Amino acid sequence: MPPLARFLVRRVLLAVLMAWGITLVTFVLTNLVPGDPVAANLGQRALGDPAIVAQWRAEHGLDKPLWQQYLIHLQGLVQGDLGMSQQSHRPVSQDLAEFVPATLELAGAAILVSLVLGVAFGVVAALRRDRLSDHVLRVLSLIGISVPTFWLALLAFYVFFYRLQITPGSGRVDAALGGAPAVTGLQTVDAVLAGRWDIFSSAVGHLITPALVLALYTIGLLTRFTRSAVLEVLGQDYVRAARAKGLPGRTILFRYVLRSALVPIITVAGLAFGSLLSGTVLVEAIFAWPGIGQYAYKSATTLDLPAVMGVGLVVGIVYLVINLVVDVLYGVIDPRVRLQ
Amino acid sequence: MATRSQTAAVLLAGALALAACGGGGNSQAPAASGGGGKTLVIDTSFDLKTADPGRTYEPTGLIVGKAVYETLLTFDGADVTKPVPALAESYELSEDGKTLTLKLKQGATFADGTPVTADDVVFSLTRVRDMKGTPSFLLDGVEVAKTDDTTITLTSKTANPALPFILPNPALGILNSKLAKQNGATTDAQDKAEQYLNANSAGSGPYTIESFNVSSQVTLKANPKYYGTKPAYDKVVLRNVEAATQKLNVQRGDSQVALNLSGDQVTGMPATLQVKKTASANVIFLLANQDSAISKTTPNAKFVEAVRKGVDYAGLLELAGEGSTQAPGVIPSQILGALPADQGAKRDVEGAKAALAASGLTNPTVKLEYPSELTVNGLSFQPLAERIQANLKEVGITVDLQPAPVTTALDNYRNGKEEMGLWYWGPDYPDPSDYLAFLPGKTVGLRAGWKPGAAKEIEEAGAKAAETIGDDARKTAYADVQTKLNAAGPFIPLIQPSQNIVSAASVTGLEYHPVWTVDVADLGAK
Repeated sequence: MPPLARFLVRRVLLAVLMAWGITLVTFVLTNLVPGDPVAANLGQRALGDPAIVAQWRAEHGLDKPLWQQYLIHLQGLVQGDLGMSQQSHRPVSQDLAEFVPATLELAGAAILVSLVLGVAFGVVAALRRDRLSDHVLRVLSLIGISVPTFWLALLAFYVFFYRLQITPGSGRVDAALGGAPAVTGLQTVDAVLAGRWDIFSSAVGHLITPALVLALYTIGLLTRFTRSAVLEVLGQDYVRAARAKGLPGRTILFRYVLRSALVPIITVAGLAFGSLLSGTVLVEAIFAWPGIGQYAYKSATTLDLPAVMGVGLVVGIVYLVINLVVDVLYGVIDPRVRLQ
Repeated sequence: MATRSQTAAVLLAGALALAACGGGGNSQAPAASGGGGKTLVIDTSFDLKTADPGRTYEPTGLIVGKAVYETLLTFDGADVTKPVPALAESYELSEDGKTLTLKLKQGATFADGTPVTADDVVFSLTRVRDMKGTPSFLLDGVEVAKTDDTTITLTSKTANPALPFILPNPALGILNSKLAKQNGATTDAQDKAEQYLNANSAGSGPYTIESFNVSSQVTLKANPKYYGTKPAYDKVVLRNVEAATQKLNVQRGDSQVALNLSGDQVTGMPATLQVKKTASANVIFLLANQDSAISKTTPNAKFVEAVRKGVDYAGLLELAGEGSTQAPGVIPSQILGALPADQGAKRDVEGAKAALAASGLTNPTVKLEYPSELTVNGLSFQPLAERIQANLKEVGITVDLQPAPVTTALDNYRNGKEEMGLWYWGPDYPDPSDYLAFLPGKTVGLRAGWKPGAAKEIEEAGAKAAETIGDDARKTAYADVQTKLNAAGPFIPLIQPSQNIVSAASVTGLEYHPVWTVDVADLGAK
């Protein structure tokens, strides 16, 4: 087997093993939560009737020992069944299919903006080391990292939506437009598929402010990492040699410097995407964005255990996939990694 | 090298920024054109579980239920003191108060065009009662029968004069029984129709459900087959929005109604918006536990009197903001039998000190428990508790504040383990009989450690009020219960915080309703 293929197989197998680990951890943690889901879900007067309580427990499999519940849960997972949400009374998978794309769209837009701006800023700062632009960019990245995202979200909403009136308000599209028929769940893509340019422009407009707010932290992080990675590479002998040889600056930057600096940048970007996905709760709340953040919050506060496990599983798997992609990209970028 | 890559980066950043602004600008189409518009956007903090009327008991669910389903009786505007006909054209309560006879209106149809029949009524009400969902208790012990094709009788074992006030609850909305049965509806706990009802309408109301999402948005569209007056808006969108964002949205014109703003948030609203401040039907009260196993202090009647006289009610109203009112008794001002405002307790520090001296307690310390993060109509319990602590300090009572997250606090409260508690009660239905829960041995009474038989005179007055028929007689009977409760009960009614609704100038006919907050079909456009 060629090294790259062997490397891929090994990584995928490891990922499957870890996915199983995630199911175990989410299940155990969820069931450790103190509080009675029966009390959270049945009406006060229904709670007084033991027969109803018993029936509810049986219906939701809560009358069985925990290990049996886990086996049933696992069996369901294999068949793609995440159980029924107690609050929406729909399959959790159906709920997630509705909410995950909204968050993916938001986090995806944020990571895209951060990659472009963060890397560009980092490169500029490194190349202009210790000059004014470097100092300015470093201060800005520090601000980006330090400012609490929810505060920034409130501020951005107030300034751009309310005061300057240049961005649209809450939600993913204008309430009156309704939204395109769901195909991918990504509002922008679905609008294009449906040929609805009014919905598309509304969706893009609604995406910009929350995505930028979310991106700011990652931009700061990427700027700092890119700057130090590029500086490190710039100091290497082979770069000096290339420069001495008289290679054009652009060639050196793109072929030598950026390629070497890419490994740490991808690591940071990958982790940042994961944290964006799980960290959108407050931004989603402020922009009334119907993503998994709000779903997770509501599930947790109503002790909707299947939904909590579903969200935990999705976030865990996304991290896993990102790690896998990052690992594979390492292998592609740096052949030395494949051999290890 | 440096200069060129820098230029590229700057250009890229610039292009992105431009794209950003462009996109924002283009999508600037207003969410709804206010005047004479077809779409109405209402922002509210969602408290929503289901669109199945038989399972609905949350405020947002009741707004949806009211728009999509019709009930036998309803209330006219915000007046909850008199039920008026809806699907029933008339009703009559027998002299013993046990039998309610309703005549069905002719010509009413469901959204699919089929007529509303007596069988639909019997099925729907029986389903709510026997499915054992949250609102089942509304019809506890009520037998539903069809006398003929246009007559329904509801029979209760004991006199039930509250029934006409219960029937307007959207949870008792009438379903298209044939359609519902086809989709899993039954009249027992096996009912499986909820998922269907969360996506489809089986009612005869002015609106139907276009889309329903428990955590983000509900879209209603006008029912083309509605036989009554057509609503002014073709589409009503209810969005789940945080209060702070609600305020900005309505000011900017992105929404036309904001339902959950606090008193602070509505001060300084521009003149272009309408602000409706009404006392809500929620009553915030103090309880002093009567169980001597819980406290050696609070069961002392003179101690309770000292607290009642020691609280500065005017100061609490200041905290609660404009529109809030003092609660003279446990029954809120909107509901039949409420005590007149001038009968509310007044602060009397000297009287309080005298009562404390008479109690035989010296420098008592009591624990006051309350939900720390719960807000009622935007009003938080924390400042109220602090103010009460300061008030009672002047009397000589040390209050030890014990805030806890609502789930924890609720546990102690429901189990009657709080020495003193600060809570609120919202009406299950707008009838004074709902407040008999405060009597000894009843739901709230037990939470205050008040066991059956603890106060014979009050219990007798309560039993008499429950059986009394006729509005005037009931008014007197419930006033009597409350006067006795105030004199010797463990509860100290404090205030009814204000419900603040902000709406665009174009929206007409907005009334705050104690049961369904707002009837969207009543809203007009100017």
